Amino acid sequence: MGKQVVIVGAGAGGASVAAEARRGDPSLSITMIEQRGQVSVAA
Amino acid sequence: MPYYIGDVIKEEKNLIARTPEKFRETGVDVRIDTCVEEVDDKAGDVRLADGTRLPYDTLVLGTGTTPLMPGIPGEDREGVFMLKKFTDALRIKAWLREVPCRKVIIIGAGFIGMEMCEVIRNLGIETQIFHRGVLPVNRWDPEFSQIVLDELRRHEVDFVSDAETKAIEAGKDHRLRLVTNHGDAEADMILMAVGVRPEVTLAKQMGLPLGKTGAIQVNFSQMTSREGVYAVGDCCESFHRVSGSWVNIPLGDIANKQGRVAGRNIGGGSMLFPGIVGAQSFKVFDLEVAATGLDERAAAESGFHPVSTLSWGNAIAGSMPGNTKLGLKLIADRATGKLLGAQAVGKAGAVSRINTLSCALWAGLTLDDLGYLDLAYAPPFGGSWDLIHTAAQVLRRQI
Repeated sequence: MGKQVVIVGAGAGGASVAAEARRGDPSLSITMIEQRGQVSVAA
Repeated sequence: MPYYIGDVIKEEKNLIARTPEKFRETGVDVRIDTCVEEVDDKAGDVRLADGTRLPYDTLVLGTGTTPLMPGIPGEDREGVFMLKKFTDALRIKAWLREVPCRKVIIIGAGFIGMEMCEVIRNLGIETQIFHRGVLPVNRWDPEFSQIVLDELRRHEVDFVSDAETKAIEAGKDHRLRLVTNHGDAEADMILMAVGVRPEVTLAKQMGLPLGKTGAIQVNFSQMTSREGVYAVGDCCESFHRVSGSWVNIPLGDIANKQGRVAGRNIGGGSMLFPGIVGAQSFKVFDLEVAATGLDERAAAESGFHPVSTLSWGNAIAGSMPGNTKLGLKLIADRATGKLLGAQAVGKAGAVSRINTLSCALWAGLTLDDLGYLDLAYAPPFGGSWDLIHTAAQVLRRQI
């Protein structure tokens, strides 16, 4: 298993991190945690 | 979200850039409705509310902002809202339509207050704003904020200045009553839009250094002072390319870019966030309002010697039907002649000028450059001398 990445918050910033990190390194294990019920919402 | 509440954006799905399912398809484990209780940086794990521990090699904080509340009795009453989460937008939308909402009070006149005011008023609901200051949107010069105020009044929005809110009680004719230093006002809904602050609870608990802004300090790679811990978006600072200082401007476009940079670095690449120039815009009824860079006060605080000019000109060629007035303020440094900031207000053309001037700030252009800048001239879009040219030449003569 690749490196473990934990992202706290799935707003514009966190969601962009997840998408770009995944593009760069498919072996990463990425977990994104969001306290709200939806991710990546346009403000 | 204001435009979703006002039915300008009709479909919920158009607001959501990427669903949890889409992320899961790419192998990202998304956990919604999940709270992080604690980060144990020594052990290298994150503890969730249910006790689960998630180990990490790399941690990213994208914790956003927390809305400020005035801290008055009754602010937790039913019918008092703030706009932060998507569920807030859903609840506000439902409340406006189902409760019979005849009147709404908005507390605060920043750009969220302005956007919300427009969409609520356009639903035919009586709207009243209570604001701490004299004029709305304090980033802009009084001459420009006065035009914003005139626009509010033209649309029959009642604006109460110098307002101090004291309490929210049960109302008689409407559901709620707001008690203020200017007497009481009733409404069926009260929206708090007094501002936000960076949400840094976890960062503090981890002992990460915060900047003067109260947001998390990062470097150009978006890494915090701790190796392997990144921060992106509204919770962290950004480098201001004009002032050379670190600022906190909570806007989604900045968060997107910083997130991309951090993601690139985490995914094995190498990328630096180039900073910001403070470009910002909003629309209120028929007005475009925009600004970029520094105002005179921020310029002076950054060690510049600001000079400025506020000019009125034409949004498109003056000879064209449908031309409207455009106000443009330029701020420049007396010593170097470099542009430091700009503000614009008008029914059309304000945002396009500010975008152009944001590029000028990015590149460090001087008033001499701006006075003869090659712009896309055609009568339906501007004069052969654009307001940017004439304003820059006027200000150049002051130096």
